[in-house]
Amino acid sequence: MLNKIISGGKLEKKVIENIKIHLKILCSATECFKNAITTGNKESTFCVADLEREADSIRRQIISTIHEGAFLPFIRPNICRFVEMVDEAFDILEDAAFEFRYLNNEIYKLIENECAKIAKINSEICELLSIAFDSLLTKGDLKEKNLAIRIYEKQVDDLKFDITEKLRKIDIKNFWDGKIITDFVYYLTNLSDLIEDASDYLYIIEVSLK
Amino acid sequence: MVEVAVVASLLIAFGIGSNDASNALGICIGAGIIKLKRAIFLFGILVFLGILLQGQKVMKTVGKNIVDVNMSIVIVVLAISAILIIISNWRRLPLSTHQVIIGSLIGAAVASDSAVNIASIIKIVVSWIISPFVAMGFSFLLYKTLEKTISKFPFFQIEKLLRAFLIFSGMLISYNTGANELATVLGPLMHSGIEINKILLFSIASVMVFSGAILLSHRVIETVGKGITTLDPYSGFAAQFGAGGCVLFFTFLGMPISTTYCIIGGISGVGLTKGISTVKFGLLKKIAINFAVTPSLAFLFGYLALKLIYS
Repeated sequence: MLNKIISGGKLEKKVIENIKIHLKILCSATECFKNAITTGNKESTFCVADLEREADSIRRQIISTIHEGAFLPFIRPNICRFVEMVDEAFDILEDAAFEFRYLNNEIYKLIENECAKIAKINSEICELLSIAFDSLLTKGDLKEKNLAIRIYEKQVDDLKFDITEKLRKIDIKNFWDGKIITDFVYYLTNLSDLIEDASDYLYIIEVSLK
Repeated sequence: MVEVAVVASLLIAFGIGSNDASNALGICIGAGIIKLKRAIFLFGILVFLGILLQGQKVMKTVGKNIVDVNMSIVIVVLAISAILIIISNWRRLPLSTHQVIIGSLIGAAVASDSAVNIASIIKIVVSWIISPFVAMGFSFLLYKTLEKTISKFPFFQIEKLLRAFLIFSGMLISYNTGANELATVLGPLMHSGIEINKILLFSIASVMVFSGAILLSHRVIETVGKGITTLDPYSGFAAQFGAGGCVLFFTFLGMPISTTYCIIGGISGVGLTKGISTVKFGLLKKIAINFAVTPSLAFLFGYLALKLIYS
């Protein structure tokens, strides 16, 4: 009876399911990108753009469902912001995949190992974000997941430092080679920052109703 | 002349609908928990249930215990109250229906040399003074309890619970509108000695409340809803439910008290959980002045109107 009077939580369920799908797609995209980097197959990075397009349509559904009235108005902006942050992660991963296709192989070979490690961490950190989101539904320990994400992010920062050290030692003769490798490293290493921000935002969402 | 009293009381009921629907369900509508039309139907049904199931005690207090009512007192009181309430709604002045009716009732009784029950008046005035503080205490305790209990649930379960709690507190306020507010309006009429079909009067009065809500409340509801829902839902619920619980408690005692003042008390109670500096004492002072002025003014109008008729 009460469920009939109030909206019954259908919109909320739809949003939660779509956010889960959104995060799963992010995990698939980072996994696909990791495989492309470890195998060196540049053509297979196109899967990232395909998944980004799919995720974009899910994001639009989430935002419009929230604006239809899902959740209390007090927490709507926080949930929207979280979804936008995940979307930014997609954008940056797509940029990394794009730059990867135009990399100068000789320069890239110098930092290939570090990049493969970062891609692996990115894939794991996204899985962790998805688990962190699930903990809002099941009362898991969100703080623990936040901490794990921060540790992963620190590892990416260390690897970024190693990459920068290596790149500084080489002569870049072509402007575009230099720009593309710099942008690629920036996009690759910034993904974990965005995931860390998104996980912090999950924490903010959780404490907003405490 | 009985018709004048009936029409006046129905006009006041209409005013209650246009103003108090926002007290009850403004937050829920603003939060998108319930749609406006559905909320107003729910409000109308609960007002009827409130007056039917629990309106007797308040009606007896107002219509029988304060003064010895006769038909001329009832006509004057209800007509003056209706005029004052309509003017206050039109000029957007915050007047409490209870205070207007009881103030003018005492004024009219004094003017006509009817017996006035001082003990009963003292009880009512004490109820008016302590009820916002009781609501403040209820809301304070409720907020603290919520912090310690439901905050342990997963986030999305808390959100779902709060939605259910908000609709429940809105329903409680709607019920109280019938059991206390509408009972105050109908009390003098019910105990004036006229032959009247109780159920029919309750039904017509509830329909008037419903009509006021459906025709005029949407603007107030939108303002209240949009204004209040930026508050966190915990505070909104604790303030509203604390106030609702307080009004229900006083309804059990048969005391006619103002929901609006109790909600102000409830909001202050929630504010107190964050420290005394969050409570706006300047605003409370204005409310206290209004608290004293409204019944005094109503007393004066009631007194003068009856003197005028007798002269």
